[in-house]
Amino acid sequence: MEYKAPVEAYTGVVREVTIGKGKKSLKIGGENMLPLHFFDQGSNPNPAKFALEVLDMEPQDWPKHAVEPFKDVISDPVSWAKKCQDFAVDAVSLSLISTDPAVKNAPADKAAALAKEVAEAIDVPLIVYGSGDEKKDAEVLPKVAEVCDGMNLLIGPVLKENYEVVGRAILDHGHTAIAQSPLDINLLKELNVKLSKFFPPERIVIDSLSSALGYGMEYSFSLIERVKQIGVITKDSMTMMPIIANLGAECWKTKQAKENKEQGLLWEGITALSLLLAGANILVLRHPETLKLIKEIIESR
Amino acid sequence: MVIIGENIHVIAQAVSIAIREKDAKVIQDLAKAQAEAGADYIDLNVGPMKKDTEATMQWLVNAVQEVTDLPLSIDTMNPVAMEAGLKACQKRPLLNSASGKTDSKEQMLPLAQKYNCDVVISVMTDRGMPPDVDSKIESIMDTVAYANELGIPNEDIWVDPILLPISTAGEGQRFTVLNLEFIKILEDVLPGVKSTVGLSNTSNGVPDQLRPLLNRTYAVMLGKNGLYSAIADPLDKELMSLIKGELTGIVELIYKTMDGEDIDLSSLSQKEVEYVKTAKVLMAETLYSDAWLES
Repeated sequence: MEYKAPVEAYTGVVREVTIGKGKKSLKIGGENMLPLHFFDQGSNPNPAKFALEVLDMEPQDWPKHAVEPFKDVISDPVSWAKKCQDFAVDAVSLSLISTDPAVKNAPADKAAALAKEVAEAIDVPLIVYGSGDEKKDAEVLPKVAEVCDGMNLLIGPVLKENYEVVGRAILDHGHTAIAQSPLDINLLKELNVKLSKFFPPERIVIDSLSSALGYGMEYSFSLIERVKQIGVITKDSMTMMPIIANLGAECWKTKQAKENKEQGLLWEGITALSLLLAGANILVLRHPETLKLIKEIIESR
Repeated sequence: MVIIGENIHVIAQAVSIAIREKDAKVIQDLAKAQAEAGADYIDLNVGPMKKDTEATMQWLVNAVQEVTDLPLSIDTMNPVAMEAGLKACQKRPLLNSASGKTDSKEQMLPLAQKYNCDVVISVMTDRGMPPDVDSKIESIMDTVAYANELGIPNEDIWVDPILLPISTAGEGQRFTVLNLEFIKILEDVLPGVKSTVGLSNTSNGVPDQLRPLLNRTYAVMLGKNGLYSAIADPLDKELMSLIKGELTGIVELIYKTMDGEDIDLSSLSQKEVEYVKTAKVLMAETLYSDAWLES
């Protein structure tokens, strides 16, 4: 008897989200299949994209081997962002950590002006992450949205605690939102439901938090996997958004990555590859050599 | 469905104070209110009760019996409090609860035999909570067999599968589904046993105003699958109407949802839509979030 492998066809389609404007734009998501299920029906029109991370201030706690690729531009975020383009990035991710009240408590105006300067200086779309302080971000992110009006930046984190004010500003000024929830699929859906009441779901990207290898990565993996399954298989509209894995900072926080360069690259690389396999659509890395490593692995497939 | 009124519960501060200060009126008012609302049993959840155990238990049982003829469910993990409570009951009480844990098998189950009362037996064992339907069935069959050997017949046993909150990160819906399944097959594997659940557990952690809807809908769903009784809030009038079969339209709608029938939401009232959506999250047809009514 001849064996015929079963072929699944899925009903859900992850929304295709565009980041940036005109030539400086890219598309993520749009797949109607589970990640890497090339043996099933469906396709993924937009393979995973990669961004490198830029801080808005000189990093305080990075090991030498993480600073090394950018050592000549590390105190100038605009030059740093431009330099990222030497490594064939699809986007740049600017972290406004200096705005954190526990860091420098830098004012919203200054952060927004920098975001605009960086966005204008580079030829790829810009992702902007606030500090994660829900109150301060409610000042900083709307200001960024306003100052960068119409540039369609990918801005977050939009949280359960501040989605109304931050989401509204992102919407009014023509940007795309990162909806972030703490490693919990029920909370993730709840935020998307609430945000979608006034915000178009085709402009939402999910950040379900990316933990590093050895520090809970398997939770992030399972969650991304589940979001994809529920979206693509059961067609739950509120999980059918592309996913961003902002993992660089998490990986380079670890003792192992700080210890030595090779270990750091592998730590970030294995985390990135794992979350990519789980279904992440865009990944934010810190080290250009990790990016090179991942791209080599993808191309040698 | 037999309703065991849950409102005399030591977690409620007023109850805890009343027991400590032997203020009978607070307790009696709660008992009367539940009896008038249609409860079949009054649950006395006294917690571990470490001080003056026997005298307090006796006082409490007598205080309640002064104002109602309903049988009591003695709800404590402390075997000394349990025995004192059972001893003071005039009507055949319910021992709430025993389990497959060694200390419970050795200290609680013999009390059910000694006082010839009904007994709630949960699926818990020394290994903790069985993770799936098969292991729950396996655990309860072992414990029921043990109880049978002590001389407790199936008819006196109320099996509790243990409900867990639907809001438990990512996992809660797996539990609501497998407990529906467990109740459905229980009668086949252990003929004659009864069943009960701590209904409100399902909605633990859910925003307060949404909890009754989950409890009501789940009661109807478990009822369809054969649930015999529930420890629940008899003061929830809509819950009581549903389980007495008074709101037949809603009950049928929940049944249809469970049977997978196509339901045209646009033809329904807002309340009916809410019941359908709630049934769908309880059977995990849609992913749960606290905003399940809004999407």
